[in-house]
Amino acid sequence: MNSTAGVADLALIIPELILLVTALALILLAPRIRRGPAAAVGTVLAALAAALASAWVLPSDTVTGFGGMITQDGYSGFFKILIAAALALAALLSVRGSDEDEDEDEAPRGEYHALLLLASIGMMLAVSTVDLLTLYLGLELMTICSYILVGFHVQRPTSNEAAIKYFLVASFASALLLYGISLTYGLAGSTGFATVASALSAHDPGRSPLVVVAILLVLGGLAFKIGAVPFHSWAPDAYQGASAPVAAFLAAGSKAAGLAALGRVTFVAYGSAAEVLSLLLAGLAALSIVVGSITLLAQTDMKRLLAYSSIAHAGYAILGLIAGTPAGISATMTYAFFYVFMTLGAFGVVIALGKRGATLDGYKGLAAQQPVAAALMLLFFLSLTGLPPTAGFVAKFVVILSAVRAGHMVLAVLAVACSVISAFVYMRVAVYMFMREPEEPAPSRWPVAVSAALAVAALVTLIGGISPASLMSWAVAP
Amino acid sequence: MTAYPVLTVVTFLPLVGAALVLFLGGERRARWIALATAVMTLVASAPLYLSFDKTSSALQFVESREWIPSWGITYGMGVDGISVLFIFLASLLVVLCIGASWIAVHTRTQEFYAALLVAETAMIGLFAASNLFLFFIFWELIVVPLFLLIGIWGGKKRVYASVKFLIFTLTGSVLMLVGMMALYNLCGTLDFKALALARESLEPRHQAWLFAAFLAAFAVKVPMFPVHTWLPDAHTEAPTAGSVILAGILLKMGAYGFLRVSLPILPDGVAFFVKPMLAISAVAIVYGAYVTLVQKDMKRLIAYSSVSHMGFVTLGIFTLDQRGVEGGILQMINHGIVTSALFLCIGMIYERTHTREIKDYGGVGKAAPVYSTFLALFCLAAAGFPGLNSFVGEFLIVGSAFRTEAWLGAMAIWGVALGTTYVVWLYYRVVMGENNPGLLKLELELNAREVATLAPLAILVISLGLYPELVLSYLRAPVAVLLAGVVP
Repeated sequence: MNSTAGVADLALIIPELILLVTALALILLAPRIRRGPAAAVGTVLAALAAALASAWVLPSDTVTGFGGMITQDGYSGFFKILIAAALALAALLSVRGSDEDEDEDEAPRGEYHALLLLASIGMMLAVSTVDLLTLYLGLELMTICSYILVGFHVQRPTSNEAAIKYFLVASFASALLLYGISLTYGLAGSTGFATVASALSAHDPGRSPLVVVAILLVLGGLAFKIGAVPFHSWAPDAYQGASAPVAAFLAAGSKAAGLAALGRVTFVAYGSAAEVLSLLLAGLAALSIVVGSITLLAQTDMKRLLAYSSIAHAGYAILGLIAGTPAGISATMTYAFFYVFMTLGAFGVVIALGKRGATLDGYKGLAAQQPVAAALMLLFFLSLTGLPPTAGFVAKFVVILSAVRAGHMVLAVLAVACSVISAFVYMRVAVYMFMREPEEPAPSRWPVAVSAALAVAALVTLIGGISPASLMSWAVAP
Repeated sequence: MTAYPVLTVVTFLPLVGAALVLFLGGERRARWIALATAVMTLVASAPLYLSFDKTSSALQFVESREWIPSWGITYGMGVDGISVLFIFLASLLVVLCIGASWIAVHTRTQEFYAALLVAETAMIGLFAASNLFLFFIFWELIVVPLFLLIGIWGGKKRVYASVKFLIFTLTGSVLMLVGMMALYNLCGTLDFKALALARESLEPRHQAWLFAAFLAAFAVKVPMFPVHTWLPDAHTEAPTAGSVILAGILLKMGAYGFLRVSLPILPDGVAFFVKPMLAISAVAIVYGAYVTLVQKDMKRLIAYSSVSHMGFVTLGIFTLDQRGVEGGILQMINHGIVTSALFLCIGMIYERTHTREIKDYGGVGKAAPVYSTFLALFCLAAAGFPGLNSFVGEFLIVGSAFRTEAWLGAMAIWGVALGTTYVVWLYYRVVMGENNPGLLKLELELNAREVATLAPLAILVISLGLYPELVLSYLRAPVAVLLAGVVP
């Protein structure tokens, strides 16, 4: 393996570099940026440039650089575009500020956007690396930025509490991941995915418990990042304490990055232990879907509701990975893609409605007062439920089909049964919006930026449901 | 062939209309746009019936385009003699629904007509789909507009009824979703025709499981005993248009599913389940009829009668006999016409009296002779009076039931007798008898718009009763091919 990193290698991380330059510029200019929206515009432009840069290299062959640590292939390109999209939408949604201080507050300024950008760089590294240590670094960069973003509202106790909780639990999860990496290193003598894979194929996981332990630890660390049960306890508190745009960014971006990492790690690095993995992943998926859907029933706070929904969705996304086949991974990629847009859309409506959007009761009679917001929320919730003709249906279809193909019939039935339970919750919001009388005055207007984000999310959710073919041909396993 | 892709146009024209209603319609303009769309859809569907080849059992007006190539799923449309009838019924009923809602719906009219038109797209698309994937999409698409129709414009317990409807139908359809995936996994295709050819490769054990999975979805929609409990609530609470769509089309979707999926693709599954299916059909006929007898609310009475009537339909289908299946399908059409007409009649008088309790009525005949004549016609049709449409269907079904098992025939006859009882008794209590003094003060007689709404159905009731060949001629070829595959 070539261990020197040349200037040519920088071509592999052009999207990251674009975001980095923007982040640094925003930090430097932060005191000079008077108006929040200006920073948001910069972030959106950087995200678009990064997405274009990723798309430009998308069809090209696999190239590896930086001493075999960073790779550029269709898989990384796909997720980089997705992360850039999540970043752009989250930046647009941030223009509203946070839900609770809609009166006093103006939009957050430079340093907030710099953190969003840095977290995105971490995500992009995590999806493009083929080395366990770089993976760890990428995920840590993402997580550390997320702590700060969650606790960004220093004046607000709930925000502080959420950040501390998140930090404590996440540190534990990082330790798990690191421990798993070190065990793997001990077994394989390397942290590169390819070397790990060939070294582990010599071990029979049935007879070598150390391999199982290493896999268990790595899986645990990654499951935390995507909020899969039983590593989910941080998510509801963190989402509720954070401002809604940050919660949206975490729910969409960090979940996509975590899923991408999980996909590559399980498929490439630990692919030889497929049986153990598929058992563990099936357990994770089943637990997440069941626990997420059932706890969803009790939620009345919208951010918490969407947090539990994201837990259940993590479970659905994992369904695709169980088979350990390229088709399965491609299903998870499709799921992640559509999930990002429908979740950001749902958060977008919550944000657009301001204080009224924060609780379930605020949605009473919304259709009569603000039909557009109600229609959009219905669309996103139909998609989260998985009803055609929305993208959520296609997403659920591909992952459950992948479980059926892997022979997990019971899991498939469980998954669809839980989607009925969650349908009850999502449609309760529809009942509130369409079938109840309004109790509060109509919400005030929301900024154009939020409208733009909602429009993008709605278009992807609709078009993805009607003609998913192009996306699905684009989602190819590493 | 015609100059335009008839099925696609007929399916999606209402969707375009729905968008126009939402974006262009004011409160009053909405209903005109909706009416124009519905009429245009009906007109656009004319080539389907006029240039239909009744001697062929193959799909006609076939359209096929690539959709999701990596799965081999196409956008496929096509109709045979069975489905073409339901497209006619659906597009006709929506026109009448708009007529019936003209005055009755006065809040949020844009959303109302948009939901109605989206439902029309789903209904027509379902019957036009030539592959299971598309079928499933339309199957699910109809749930949301009906959920909204019941929940927003319904009666007092509308929210409860709409949520119950949603949960029941979703529970059934997600099991169908898993069945569909398993079928796809085993056969590698979702095209109806290709699946029917690939069925040899399906083991009987798999077929039985698949039949059960699809049964979950179809049984809820039909609805078969004992998963019928959503129906009385939904039908009763829905606005008139919603009840008509539910009774006229939605219930037929389940029975159509048996004809389109279960019988042609899963013959071994059918063989495994045919006895229980016949038994629960017979139970539904008699049980449904007895429950209908004791209802005090007119709308609820008609709703429960649907359980009994749809029992006849599934009984006919699962006799697996040419005449029985033809009778079952004819009865689906008949029930769609007669029950929709009865719901329309009840809706019209409810608009004036604001009560659906039977005891509040009496002596309507003197105050509203035209109305009472229509009601008499439809009640007699519901009772299976000779010369009217339902008689033929029931006759065919009962005959086949007797040939299959004598006790099934006996149960069916019992159901017919009870059916006559409850419907004649309803008519007696509402139209005859003592005048209810409160009623006379109201203008009970129908106006021209309402007469025009009911007239097409009255014509159909009489003409199908006198000349059932109108429907049966479409059915003969496809049913023969269908049964050739099922009955060894």
